[in-house]
Amino acid sequence: MVFASIVETYIAAFTRGNGNGVLAISLLALSQATAVLLFYMQLKYEPNSIKAFSILALMFLVALFAASIATLA
Amino acid sequence: MTSEFGSWLKSWLFTTNHKKVGILYFFTSCYFGFIGAILALLMRTQLSVPNNDFLTTNFYNQAVTMHGIIMIFWFLSPLAIGLANYFVPLQIGAEDLAFPRLNALSYWLYLAGGILEIISFFVPGGSANGGWTTYAPLATNQFSPGSGPTLVFLGWILLTVSITLGSVNFVTTVLWMRAEGVTISKIPMFTWFIFFTIVAMLFSFPSLIAALVLLSSDRILGTVFFSLTSIQPSILWDNLFWFFGHPEVYIVLLPAFGVIAEVLPVFSGRPLAGKNVILVSTAVIVLPLSFGVWMHHMFVTGIPDSLLNVFSISTIAISLPFDLITLAFIETLIHGNIKYEAPMLFALGGIVLFVIGGITGVFLSSPVLDRVFRGTYFVVAHFHYVMVGAAIFGLIAGIYYWLPRITGRMYNKRLATWHFIISFIGFNVLYFPMNFLTDMPRRVFTYQAFGYWPLANEIASVGAFIFALAQIALAYQVLHTWFRGPPAPPNPWGAATLEWPKVSTPAFEGNLNPQGWIGQLEQKVELPHEVTHDHLSSRPLILTVGVFFALLGLPYYSSPYGIASIVFGFLVLAYSGLTWALDDIKEKFNIVDNDKGERWPFNTVSKLKVGMWTFLASEIIFFGTFIGAYLYIRAASPSWPAVGSFHSLTIGVVNTLILVTSGFTMALALESIREGKQRNLLAFLAMTFLLGATFMGIKVSEWLDLSSKGFVIWSGNSMISLAASTYYLLVGLHGAHVTAGLLVLVYLMKKTLNGQYTENEHRGIENFALYWAFVDIVWCFLFPLFYLM
Repeated sequence: MVFASIVETYIAAFTRGNGNGVLAISLLALSQATAVLLFYMQLKYEPNSIKAFSILALMFLVALFAASIATLA
Repeated sequence: MTSEFGSWLKSWLFTTNHKKVGILYFFTSCYFGFIGAILALLMRTQLSVPNNDFLTTNFYNQAVTMHGIIMIFWFLSPLAIGLANYFVPLQIGAEDLAFPRLNALSYWLYLAGGILEIISFFVPGGSANGGWTTYAPLATNQFSPGSGPTLVFLGWILLTVSITLGSVNFVTTVLWMRAEGVTISKIPMFTWFIFFTIVAMLFSFPSLIAALVLLSSDRILGTVFFSLTSIQPSILWDNLFWFFGHPEVYIVLLPAFGVIAEVLPVFSGRPLAGKNVILVSTAVIVLPLSFGVWMHHMFVTGIPDSLLNVFSISTIAISLPFDLITLAFIETLIHGNIKYEAPMLFALGGIVLFVIGGITGVFLSSPVLDRVFRGTYFVVAHFHYVMVGAAIFGLIAGIYYWLPRITGRMYNKRLATWHFIISFIGFNVLYFPMNFLTDMPRRVFTYQAFGYWPLANEIASVGAFIFALAQIALAYQVLHTWFRGPPAPPNPWGAATLEWPKVSTPAFEGNLNPQGWIGQLEQKVELPHEVTHDHLSSRPLILTVGVFFALLGLPYYSSPYGIASIVFGFLVLAYSGLTWALDDIKEKFNIVDNDKGERWPFNTVSKLKVGMWTFLASEIIFFGTFIGAYLYIRAASPSWPAVGSFHSLTIGVVNTLILVTSGFTMALALESIREGKQRNLLAFLAMTFLLGATFMGIKVSEWLDLSSKGFVIWSGNSMISLAASTYYLLVGLHGAHVTAGLLVLVYLMKKTLNGQYTENEHRGIENFALYWAFVDIVWCFLFPLFYLM
């Protein structure tokens, strides 16, 4: 987690907000969140029924993000 | 006598019993329904003749707005929640809801929110007047000035919080509190439909809370999420509101379908046809798709053609499962030995009205037709047929069905039949003419004598009074039955679900299939429904009083009265929070869980963990909506402050490392207690607290620094104001979560010092670790968004 945060910072400093940098930082943030979800929150060891809560919420959220941003097109 | 009255009053004000809370919900929702009906009658009187000046323009707009808000949020859903409170635990053989105090808190927050709505009428300028959809920027201070609309939005936030808490409670109850024998396949239809409703609430209401927080923040703090139309388009509100708003249609409708699915088999003497088809189509199609149709409310906002097509198809698709459900209902009636008792009459009426409303809804799924019908009385007719016709008739069926179970007395059947006949006629006289007003704009305060507008409006207004007067019969029935009705048989309808005492002879002979699910349920499940807890707790009420006064003062924070109200509210809040925690530490309010219940698919998971994950699911949507709004604003804005122009990267990185480390120490705290090491637990909890407090300390100093650099919401530069609005609100909300976590950490440390956590009992630590890790996850996104991109 600490390493990923530092790498994010370096990427931001070197890429200065270009598309590749934003993509890399987004992927690192996602990987950090996934790591917390799987290991700190121990979702990896929970039954599928518990996993379904977060998957459902994320599914609806992706729909909201995607369609809302698409309205700007 | 006085002490008797005091005990009686206390038994209601401090109750956490699901039946009493259900009754409180029932009567309170009826009260708000009465207010909403009065507003509707005022509107219909104004519209009864052309060029009328019975109401002022401003009051008419307030009546339209508040009629919609009160009827949908304070009447329809809470009425269903009242029935659910009373009967869901009984139907699944649970002794109470999973978290009784949370249930009481949900009710009081609902009531407090409603009181704020009513108060808004009496402040200078009156209540909200921009329509129930409160489109922004119309609902911002610029176009809707005054404290009335602000109170409406704050009361609405209270309601949404209440509903989120209630959702966590009901999901946990249905998944974890079922009695032995009540397997998934034995859950009664009403409980199933309440479960579907609650799941829809769980995932949709957080986006409404987020939208209302953004709007209230604009009105009170002066942020510019919706008011800077020159920089970002106003369609952001539409997206956030309708993402919630369309599932809300099903939230209102599904409980009524649950009642109808209970009533039809009982009064037609045969099992419900296609039960599994109904359940699967609702769970697999209606629920997910209800979150994928919201843009049909935005067809005329200029969204891209590709989205028009996608959302038109998804809207047509969502009507298909309802076709199946309606056909299943009709199939149940065919060959049935139908008894036209009041519950059945209202159930049948609900189906007929739903079919009419459903068909007119399909027209609106076409972008072409929608351009013609949008904003006309055709739409008013459509959604009232669905949300009033189907929903209200279904819920009244439930009231007549269960009134003998609640009161032990029987209502006047002849009057109930007349109640149905007059209601059905009145409803159709009111709304059917509106189907022909496809050229008359809705929400107009008055109109010219054009074509058949005067005649249709006159007929509709007569229908409104007929429909409203008919409901006096319902009020009479409920009150008269409650106090004076003749004793009812224990199970007057011969129903076989668990809330009714078991009977040996079905009321209707011949058609009950002994191999069907009703027969199986009777054979295998005992009835534990008379066992109920009746704990009293003053904490939910006192906490609500604190929240109420804090919110009441917010619109007036620049006046001494406003400040006094806020300070008083926070003091009461602090007192109630402290006493609530002390109750828990002293174990004054213990719920003994039934250890033999049916919990599949959560057999290995504790009740608290199911509740916590349910809550976190709503939190994902809540924060996700804010982050989505931020991304939307960034994408729509022509420019944005460059990275590093205001925020110090060093402070951001240091604070991130501190919070990440606190997540690690919390994980170690959990591992410590799993190994039974209480001293280590205390040490790691203390470290987590110190790290969290340091994070907040740095955050506050950073805010002061940013303010001194001119990074403020009232900056003269629109771009900086918008960037500052997003930063302060999102990071502030995250900070509020961290602060709440710090308070809970103090509570956990106190319990650890008392030796209340052991190797075998550490659920509190386990669930707090989930919460704290979630707070970490949110920061994983906020840090790059605000400091790196």
